[in-house]
Amino acid sequence: MKKKSRVYVSFLAAAFVALTFCLLPGTASAAEPIKLGAPLSTAFLYGWDAERGIKLAVEEINAAGGVDVGGVKRPFSVDVIDTRDLEPGVPVDDAIKAVEKLILQKDVDFLVGGPVRSEAALAVLDLLSKHKKVSIVSTGVLSPAYHKTIAKDYDKYKYAFRISNELVNIIVKEIMGIFGKLRTDYGFERVHIMVQDVAYARKSGEVVEKFLKKAGFTVTGHEIYPTGNTDFAPGLLKSRRENAEILFVFMDMPETAILLKQWKTFKLKSVPFGFMSAAEQPGFWETSEGNCEYAIVDVINGGNAPADITPWTMKFVDAYKAKWGLEPEGYGTSSSYMAIYALKDAIERAGTLDSDAVVKALETIDLMGVYGRIRFDPKSHQVIPSTDPAEGAVTGFFQWQDGKRVVFWPDAGATGKLQLPPWMKK
Amino acid sequence: MFADVLVYGFIQSSALLLMAFGFSLVYGVSRLPNFAHGAIYVLTAFVAWALFNQVGLPYPVAAALAIAISGLLGVLIYYVVLRRVRGMEISEVIATYAIGLAVLESLRYAGFRGTSYALPALSDGVVFIFDVPVDHQRVWLTVLGFTMVGAIWLLTRYTKVGRALKGMAQDERAAMMLGIDSDRTAALAVGLGSMLAGVAALIIFPLGSLVVEEGYKVLIYAIAVCVVGGLGSWAGTVIAAFVLGYSQYITVFYGKPHFQMVVMLLAIIATLIVRPSGFFGKQKQLEERV
Amino acid sequence: MTGTNKEQRRKERIDRGIKVRSESLYAINSWEEISYLVAPRMLFIGFFLLMPFFLSHYPYWGRVGLSVGILALLSISFDFLANYVGLVSLGGAFFYGVGGYASALINTELGLPPLLSIPIATVVGSFICTAMLAPCLPLRGIYFAIVTLMYPLLMIRLIEALDIFGGTNGFRGIDGFGSIWIEQYGLVFGLLLALFGLRRFVNEDAGLVIRAVKDNDQSVRASGISVTWTKTKAVFLASLPGCFAGAYYIHMYSNVGISSFALDLSIMPIAATVIGGGGTLIGPVIGAVLLVPLSEFLRDFGSLRIVVYALVLTGFVVFRSDGLMNVISRKYQQFERWVKI
Repeated sequence: MKKKSRVYVSFLAAAFVALTFCLLPGTASAAEPIKLGAPLSTAFLYGWDAERGIKLAVEEINAAGGVDVGGVKRPFSVDVIDTRDLEPGVPVDDAIKAVEKLILQKDVDFLVGGPVRSEAALAVLDLLSKHKKVSIVSTGVLSPAYHKTIAKDYDKYKYAFRISNELVNIIVKEIMGIFGKLRTDYGFERVHIMVQDVAYARKSGEVVEKFLKKAGFTVTGHEIYPTGNTDFAPGLLKSRRENAEILFVFMDMPETAILLKQWKTFKLKSVPFGFMSAAEQPGFWETSEGNCEYAIVDVINGGNAPADITPWTMKFVDAYKAKWGLEPEGYGTSSSYMAIYALKDAIERAGTLDSDAVVKALETIDLMGVYGRIRFDPKSHQVIPSTDPAEGAVTGFFQWQDGKRVVFWPDAGATGKLQLPPWMKK
Repeated sequence: MFADVLVYGFIQSSALLLMAFGFSLVYGVSRLPNFAHGAIYVLTAFVAWALFNQVGLPYPVAAALAIAISGLLGVLIYYVVLRRVRGMEISEVIATYAIGLAVLESLRYAGFRGTSYALPALSDGVVFIFDVPVDHQRVWLTVLGFTMVGAIWLLTRYTKVGRALKGMAQDERAAMMLGIDSDRTAALAVGLGSMLAGVAALIIFPLGSLVVEEGYKVLIYAIAVCVVGGLGSWAGTVIAAFVLGYSQYITVFYGKPHFQMVVMLLAIIATLIVRPSGFFGKQKQLEERV
Repeated sequence: MTGTNKEQRRKERIDRGIKVRSESLYAINSWEEISYLVAPRMLFIGFFLLMPFFLSHYPYWGRVGLSVGILALLSISFDFLANYVGLVSLGGAFFYGVGGYASALINTELGLPPLLSIPIATVVGSFICTAMLAPCLPLRGIYFAIVTLMYPLLMIRLIEALDIFGGTNGFRGIDGFGSIWIEQYGLVFGLLLALFGLRRFVNEDAGLVIRAVKDNDQSVRASGISVTWTKTKAVFLASLPGCFAGAYYIHMYSNVGISSFALDLSIMPIAATVIGGGGTLIGPVIGAVLLVPLSEFLRDFGSLRIVVYALVLTGFVVFRSDGLMNVISRKYQQFERWVKI
């Protein structure tokens, strides 16, 4: 009996010691890497392409010697964690816990990338201010609520930045521009709006409708679909009866492919146009069996499809192809890549990893990047947009034509011209 | 306007009938709630996809093989899981539900997510019914849906196996006394139900792309049809599918697509509160209400 | 017959003497017997009281500790309903979400601090849950399980479709606790109160009636007691810990959204209860203590986490395991020996 209990006691003691060692925080040393945490919904395009963009930039920077922090060269290291926040049902909870894990357990110095869903990114803001962690959002998160929240309570949320373009500006400056182009070129007047039921998409639907009406277009309908909806026939049939000429789609769910498939089988006399995350990928032509032809797709930041915006654009596209074996796939790639370079620039100018100093440095950044000039608005921490790459961050639009993504907007990076489906020609 | 609702409501209802039929059959016949129904539905589609695209089998072979596999899986679920907890309904529900969860989430973990997976349609093209465009796959869906329901109905009526299934549903003890093997018949029912789920998947999925989330949705739809129609009632299942299908389509058409699921959930809750045996069920009230 | 020449033996379990002695009032006569009774409880209470201290050095595990408490509360609610009232609820997330939204609204709309909004939300939320579940209470077995599975799903869809309570966005700006000590100990006290409160309750007269509903509802009815009314009271009691958990959680993260009704929240309590041992109320807590850290280790593997607990759950259900707590208490109270047949 006694022997047995001694075995137990020593086993328990050993387990306890082991546990304590496991939990002990690591000690810091000078040449240690700068730890980046990337909370991304890795199962989805905006997650994995951002991850690839981040890893490409980190690899390039480390190969060139790393980041100069007050005279010491330190490399970057990245911890990617799956936030699952793009999955149906908007599981914000998982995203919050994932970010918390990066901050508290992985002990990261900075956050880049996501969370990807606007709802989750907004929910994480409080966590960032609680732990004073600088974060540059570079994928997903298109909602204007993000930078407005930061501007409204600057002292609390000043640690958050967004390097990707934001919706209201895209709609007012770019999307409305394309609507205007469709009107002058083809005389299209009737628009049917179909959006996904998530914060930023719903908001865009409303804003687009408002601006379309102001510009004299006719809005024939406005459908809102829950995430994961698989049958778009009711809405499409409505648009057919109303003789809509443009289908304005704003969705990030994979089921968008079904919408395009149904649009093609019904041979609707309208052009799908808008933000369709599924249709951004180069591989979409094959998986949709060509159903996506003539769809006009917004890839948010330039450089997410091959284009000629700045000298760095094609250099980035080629480097990406060399590393990952395919073209940059869609939104989140070029911006996540740039987020790392922006962070490097800011850390080097600040000369320290201190959050407040890096915030100051990021506010004064002026960097010629992949999709134009990168500057942040000092109050809202939103990247300053423009249609001219010499002035600010530009967006990109392409149309699927014969298996290729042909960028036609903005003029600065265009590689081709717009076309209409053959069954629409009168 | 009216024609749209009429035609597409009919298609929606047929799709519901297809989704629910296997579940309804298993519960109606063997009183086994197979909550892995939705998972089997999705799994069959992915197996067919993999056999077709990865292994390179011709599609009809891949489809047949996938359906056979789903049937085997059903039998396996019966022998490994259900048989051990038979009679304890709650355990049956929890165990099969958990298995379904495990199957669906492992598919997700294995990387089957996003748009990249689609099954080929039986034929491409559009026909116009009352000037409403309908793609061929939807026509197939209604035709095959009704053929299948009819075939199974004939099977339970006029074949020995089918009669054994029915006998088990009516009085298990008496059936056993007449030499019907309870385990084998129940396993057969679960296998058949799973195969029906597989067939439904292969007919319905070509309309869109393969997504794991469908599994959860199909389970809820199946439960809704089954509960509203009354467990174990043939006519009830068909009528419920049509009532629910049309109400779904009408709410989506005139309201928001969000109500598609709300209609189903409310139908389940309301039916269970008002008339737990379903509107066409043959069970006695007392059994499930106190 | 192959075993004819072999001795046939079976295991026999006999209560330990100390258990029998300490059952009566005379237990207070001897230190040994008092400690036999009190030690396990003290160990358990001590563990939870000291946990925040240990974990305060490891902030991340501190958060995991909080998640343990939250899941433990939900599991207690499930265990009480399933094993004492006989109502198997597959919708624990319903209580959780209602409590969460109630507390969020009380905090943001009325401006009450968390220490007031949580208890108010717990009670108000429980009334709401009970009222909404009341029409389903005549149901039992599989039907009650199905209907409760649908409730949280319906709430999600309704919030989405009607765009109420902030729609898919949820809302933020809910007050936090301020100090991690209040945050940790508030939850520990809530958990201990729920646990020992319910344990006491099930042995009172009212508790006996509730347990009788599970075992034989016809006899309850024959005694002139309304079965449905008794169940209503029981559902209210079960809602309390569930709503408390939800209300507490939203203050931990300062925001509330439709993920408060997520499916995980209905499944994990069942797994915790089955692993820890149903019908003991303590067991589910032990289950939560084991499950949550496991699930945190698996967080890096995304959805594999759910696969793991789904399989564990199936295994425990199919092989009809008693769960840890039942095994432990058997070992503690009884000894086993082999006897000849």
